[in-house]
Amino acid sequence: MLFYFSFLILLSSCQEDILETVPYGESTSAEFWRNGSDAIAASTAMYEPLRTEDLYGHNENVFDNCSDDIFRAGDHGYESAMENFTFDDDNAGFRFGWSPKYEIIGRANSVLINVPDIEDIDDATRDRVLGEAHFLRGFAYWRLHVLYGEVPLILESNVVEGNFNVPKSTVEEIRAQIESDFIAAANLLPVNYPAEDLGRVTKGSANGFLAKLYLYKEEFEKTIEAGEKVLNGPYPLAENFRDNFTVATENNPEMLFSVQGEDNWGDVPKSYDAPRSWGGWDFHNPVVNVVDEFEENDVRLPNSILQPGDIVDRGEMGPFEFTADLTQTGYSLTKYVSYLPDGNIDRDQNVPILRSADVYLMVAEAKIRLNGAGSGDFEINEVRNRAGLDPISNGGMPELIHERRCELVGENQRHQDLMRWDKAGIVDIVQIYGEDRGPFDPSRTFVRPKHYYFPIPQREIDLSNGVLIQNENYK
Amino acid sequence: MLDFKENEKIICLITIISCNRASLTPTKIEMKKTIIYRSIINMSDSKNCFSPKRSRPKMLIIAIFLSMASFAHSNKSEPTPTINTESRDVGFLIAPTVLGQERTITGTIVDEMGVPLSGASVQIKGTATGVAADFDGNFSITVPNEDTILIVSYIGYTTMEVEVGNQSNLNIQLQPNASQLDEVLVVGYGTTVKKDVTGAISSVKGEEFRNLPVASVDKVLQGRLAGVQVVNNGGAPGSSASIRIRGTGTVNDSDPLYVIDGVPTESIAGINQNNIESIEVLKDASASAIYGTRAANGVIIVTTRKGRRGGKTQMNLDFYTGFSNVIKTVDVLNAPELGEIKRERYTNDGIPVDDIWSDPSYLTQRTNWQDELFKTGVTQNVDLSITGASEKSSFFFGLGYYDEQGIIKKAEANRVNLQINSDHSLNNWLKISQNLSLSSRSNNAFNTTSAQTGLIWSAIRFNPGLPVRNADGSYSSSQVSSEFGDINNPIFTVVSNDSDTRRTRLLSNVQAEISFTQDFKFRANFGVDAEITDQKNYEPQILDQIRQSSSSNRFRNYEQFHSFLMEYFLSYNKIFGDHSIGAVAGYTEQSFDSQGFNARTFNVEDIESQKLLTNGDQDEATEFRSNDGLRSVFGRLNYSYMDRYLLTATLRSDESSRFADGNRRGTFPAFSLGWRVSQESFFNVPSISNLKVTGGWGQLGNQNIARLQYLARLSSGRRYSFGLDGSNRVEGVSRVSIANPDVTWETVVMSNFGLEVGFLENKLSTSFNYYIKNTEDMLLQPPAIGSQGSITSPFRNVGEVENKGLEIELNWQDTKGDFSYGIGANAAFVKNKVIKLVDGNFLASDFYGRPNQELSRTFEGEPIATFYGWKANGLFQTQADIDAHATQEGAVPGDVRFIDIDNNGVINDEDRTIIGNPHPDMTYGLNLNATYKGFDFTAFFLGAAGVEIFNADRMQGLDASYPFNLYSEILDRWTGPGTSNTIPRVSTLRTNLNHRTSDLFIESGDYFRLKNLTLGYSLPTDYIEKINLSRLRLYVTGQNLFTITGYSGLDPELGLTDGNLQQNVDFAQFPQPRTFLLGINLSF
Repeated sequence: MLFYFSFLILLSSCQEDILETVPYGESTSAEFWRNGSDAIAASTAMYEPLRTEDLYGHNENVFDNCSDDIFRAGDHGYESAMENFTFDDDNAGFRFGWSPKYEIIGRANSVLINVPDIEDIDDATRDRVLGEAHFLRGFAYWRLHVLYGEVPLILESNVVEGNFNVPKSTVEEIRAQIESDFIAAANLLPVNYPAEDLGRVTKGSANGFLAKLYLYKEEFEKTIEAGEKVLNGPYPLAENFRDNFTVATENNPEMLFSVQGEDNWGDVPKSYDAPRSWGGWDFHNPVVNVVDEFEENDVRLPNSILQPGDIVDRGEMGPFEFTADLTQTGYSLTKYVSYLPDGNIDRDQNVPILRSADVYLMVAEAKIRLNGAGSGDFEINEVRNRAGLDPISNGGMPELIHERRCELVGENQRHQDLMRWDKAGIVDIVQIYGEDRGPFDPSRTFVRPKHYYFPIPQREIDLSNGVLIQNENYK
Repeated sequence: MLDFKENEKIICLITIISCNRASLTPTKIEMKKTIIYRSIINMSDSKNCFSPKRSRPKMLIIAIFLSMASFAHSNKSEPTPTINTESRDVGFLIAPTVLGQERTITGTIVDEMGVPLSGASVQIKGTATGVAADFDGNFSITVPNEDTILIVSYIGYTTMEVEVGNQSNLNIQLQPNASQLDEVLVVGYGTTVKKDVTGAISSVKGEEFRNLPVASVDKVLQGRLAGVQVVNNGGAPGSSASIRIRGTGTVNDSDPLYVIDGVPTESIAGINQNNIESIEVLKDASASAIYGTRAANGVIIVTTRKGRRGGKTQMNLDFYTGFSNVIKTVDVLNAPELGEIKRERYTNDGIPVDDIWSDPSYLTQRTNWQDELFKTGVTQNVDLSITGASEKSSFFFGLGYYDEQGIIKKAEANRVNLQINSDHSLNNWLKISQNLSLSSRSNNAFNTTSAQTGLIWSAIRFNPGLPVRNADGSYSSSQVSSEFGDINNPIFTVVSNDSDTRRTRLLSNVQAEISFTQDFKFRANFGVDAEITDQKNYEPQILDQIRQSSSSNRFRNYEQFHSFLMEYFLSYNKIFGDHSIGAVAGYTEQSFDSQGFNARTFNVEDIESQKLLTNGDQDEATEFRSNDGLRSVFGRLNYSYMDRYLLTATLRSDESSRFADGNRRGTFPAFSLGWRVSQESFFNVPSISNLKVTGGWGQLGNQNIARLQYLARLSSGRRYSFGLDGSNRVEGVSRVSIANPDVTWETVVMSNFGLEVGFLENKLSTSFNYYIKNTEDMLLQPPAIGSQGSITSPFRNVGEVENKGLEIELNWQDTKGDFSYGIGANAAFVKNKVIKLVDGNFLASDFYGRPNQELSRTFEGEPIATFYGWKANGLFQTQADIDAHATQEGAVPGDVRFIDIDNNGVINDEDRTIIGNPHPDMTYGLNLNATYKGFDFTAFFLGAAGVEIFNADRMQGLDASYPFNLYSEILDRWTGPGTSNTIPRVSTLRTNLNHRTSDLFIESGDYFRLKNLTLGYSLPTDYIEKINLSRLRLYVTGQNLFTITGYSGLDPELGLTDGNLQQNVDFAQFPQPRTFLLGINLSF
């Protein structure tokens, strides 16, 4: 007993000072930001939220259900309210992506604060990492501003001061920030990458987004200037339209920016698109109206949408015929769904965000709106040519609108396109959405200007203690 | 008795072992005292394993005390030999007469069994002169003359007055005191008797909850003690409960501290309730402040059974077995009814009806999924215990096995438990005792709290037109149609489940008590608490259910926790005439270390022999670790004057590793006063046998918050893959927290006022306690606003919570001939209120399931976790109703009318308000017991009143926009003016959001439950002695026999679903079953 007693004293006496704790598995700011590999780790972390379910894993794609291309087929009640413009301010769909976008911004701000002071790093890596940070911050604000309009602007100084509860900035201020970030990114980023780094953003990604920003701002000359930097750079259209949507070829030069898929990491946009009995969840069904938009022999149609009678190769499981009862509308979005050799959905597939084809059409649109019909024929025909279609001549906005719809269906563009064209008086979105085209494309009431933006998540308003004010039209 | 040289050896042994490079050599063992002291000094200077900061005082203390003990005893003369007699019939024995004046009397004090009462007090009446009996119960006292009267007393025994007369040797036998007032209570670092208590302490004896069919001790406390609320988190086998003492004091960890046989720990899991002697709950600051930093949520002191000195060796064998069933299921639609509702919802919306709802094969009722899921559970338990003692040692040995097969297949738990306790008096100044509890428990539980995949949730909603299995033997699947929702077949979920969690815990301590004198003692306590958790899980590849697993995977998680305790304290107890003093002072430190790793591999074959991590494609492995430490000094003083005026004062000072250097120390004072009015000479109310008033105040701390809040941390794991084929996986690192270097303790300030009244010679005893408990400096994480991304905000000491309450306990115990009976009743009323939050803002809780709805918020001025949403006011019956109401966008007749709280003419988010309170106004328990000849009877009832439940499962179960099965209640839906005013029309669209969070789904959660009923019969002794038994009792027990409640869900006891921030929300949790048992107790 005495020995036991003594043994216990010994045991408890010879430990380290019990009040000193160790942050196992984590590092503190003081210990990080030492060298180039820390900078790369921090820049990689900026991409990570993109693939989560709250962003391009699913929820970011839900915003295009509002368009006239897609029917919300899933059983998420809030998505139905979003699609039908019957949502309230606390709709979960507006909440999901809000904070992940600010997380990307926060990670980018950390890089922009700390990487310039790292000494043990080569200039090329430093420039690249800073360029990625500017791009991703600009991109996150891009998405925030197209969805919500006025949002809080969180920059490096907010991080340093720890002050995140700030009032909204105006759309102009947000756009100015996006512009300066994309310009900085275009200056700092490399033109392209060695094979192992494909998927990181390039000079082309930044210029492509600059073109998009200017187009939304209706600064057409600048759109053309920025867009042509892409079109004249090493970012040609892939030879086959489908190359953009197969795992083996999706990181080709045309793909200016896409979210990199990874099996088992939880990103599931492919599952949300595929039919249920084929292993998917069947959430985004194309409607007949968009199917009818395609011209005969457009190779983009079978590569974007499954129609009854289409045959899908599911490897060892064999060829499957698509039938109308597999989905609610009788069509299925197949653009970025492909199958593994064992027949299951290949979750490695990426989600495209910006392609050179989009930049061609943006430049075309800018030229048409600047110089009139016919001035964008060259760019439109480049895209049509790849789709196996005859060239057009003297193309105006109707041709351009048709081309964008067919080229980019399912790529989260249509609703935003319709809204900016509506603002410019080119289309009447109230009429387009108000038309009753059957049960999956019913008449929906779009209210101008209210529905140009979604409400800021009500919870954020509640939490801000009066600092964050709801979008004027939702008060 | 050891001689001085032997004492020196002990000291040297300890010092040498402890300090292997101390400047002592074996040749110096036989040294003089001066050398020892020099050695102690040398030792503490030596640069060895002791960090000078810490270990020096510690070793110094123990060495000095050991030396003092040896001094004290080496200088004392041997006690005079005494005459012992075998007489048990008389209190004292007349010895040979010795005439004279002042003389020395010797004697022995024993208990009713003849066992010496070490430490019993002998005092000369009317003077301050007194002595205490030594270890063998012997005493020696000089008395002035023959007329001297000695007052002999001992805790728990009736005080006796003995006339000295001409005796010189007294053999005094004390009888145990049956009065509750002399009941011994275990408090922190000592014991006390009930009459001297000035704080709020509730106590329950182990016999009251022996052989109840639950796997954990926390659950048996439910309803037994006023102010101790046991929040059952479902009835799954092996599930634990949350205990709230005097309300929810903080939104952070509000679990109490457990002290098991002197070892402070956060968990009572693994302790077998049948091995428990008593449980004391220290409720107010005065009682619990001695545990300072961890006492804010109350302290539960658990004492396991010990051998009884002088008792004979006895073996007990207890066995019971029984079965359990689900009490209630939810009424859901059958297949034809479901078809009708589904068709109607499309028709209402003007959308073509999906073909599946006209397909006769799915309109045929095939399966009641809840009936398929629930089965009869089986519980069994066997306990073997042996107790025994010699004059110098005693022991308790317990070996138990508990096995519970739940009311859902594979929901099961079992526990093997070994308890070994012993104590030994090595000589008249050194006593050593040890406790050891070793347990291994295993359980498997299903997710029953998710509104996406929860098992019971799924069974309520899975399509009733599908069979359990298809004709080809495969399990039916909702892949058939998107109209059936994304639910997996619940029976498939059960069958494919392959997981197990086993926890092995060792809780042990050894204590040494050194008596310098009878009054002055030193105690050292060394303890270890260690647990290993091994969790295994296998998931097959699932392709033919809607929620798929693209590849099979094997997961294993292995964790180990250990904590070491070391404490030393001195105690002094002395009576000087009318003054009685008790003091305790000590030092304690405890370290905690938790670490583990886990790994997952994919594509593991579904063959038992192949389910190892090595047989798959390894994908991820994680390792984690954390450590904590706590170092404290404490002291307590008890003083009483004339047994009427009582004072307790306590102080504890802690240093904790949870905070940054500089903010680590917290000091927690407390005091309380008592007045035993019934002892006063002026008090003369015959029917009132006891009247005591008490009052106290004190501060307590709470440190249980996330670690390392004072650092800005970065974390890895933000991976992303690049490359042509996406194979270049790159590790990402990002910041996860903002630092707050100022973070420190939460402080609870509590005042307590008590009144204790005993009537009719204490046959009826009552107690009333009123308290005000304020948590100041509550640690709050400012709500993570979206614009800071997912970085967590640091905790700040800004919040305040108030709990005010009243606790009442009544006990009646009486005997009439062979019939004896008792009634125990307790009730607690508590009002919880949040006084202050960060910047006046609210605290959000988790969102509910598929609709992603907010259910609870915590606001200033309101209780924690109030329900928050809209108020409904019936249904719109006509368009005219809608036109007459504030603008409610999208509403049509048959939709819910919401109240325009802010009167702005529009129904919007601003109309949300507080719609319910999940905290009961009152919780209560009622215990009836009776014995007649060989029969015994116990009925135990408990309940809650003034409590509300948010029935979220019903909310979704009435929402026809989901592709799930629905509650039968929907048959009473609105179908035209006047058809219903509560259940809205069915629709697939959510234009009016009829099923938004509103008071339509709030129900009263009041209940009154017969928790336990036991009827036993013990065979007559003369009969069973023939078969060499001393006891044979047979009994039957029923658990949860009936519940009176208006609540419509499965079980009104719902528990916590997002820490303290969301409570009493029905997610279709695992309900408590009804259990019937048959048992036998045998004693040899």
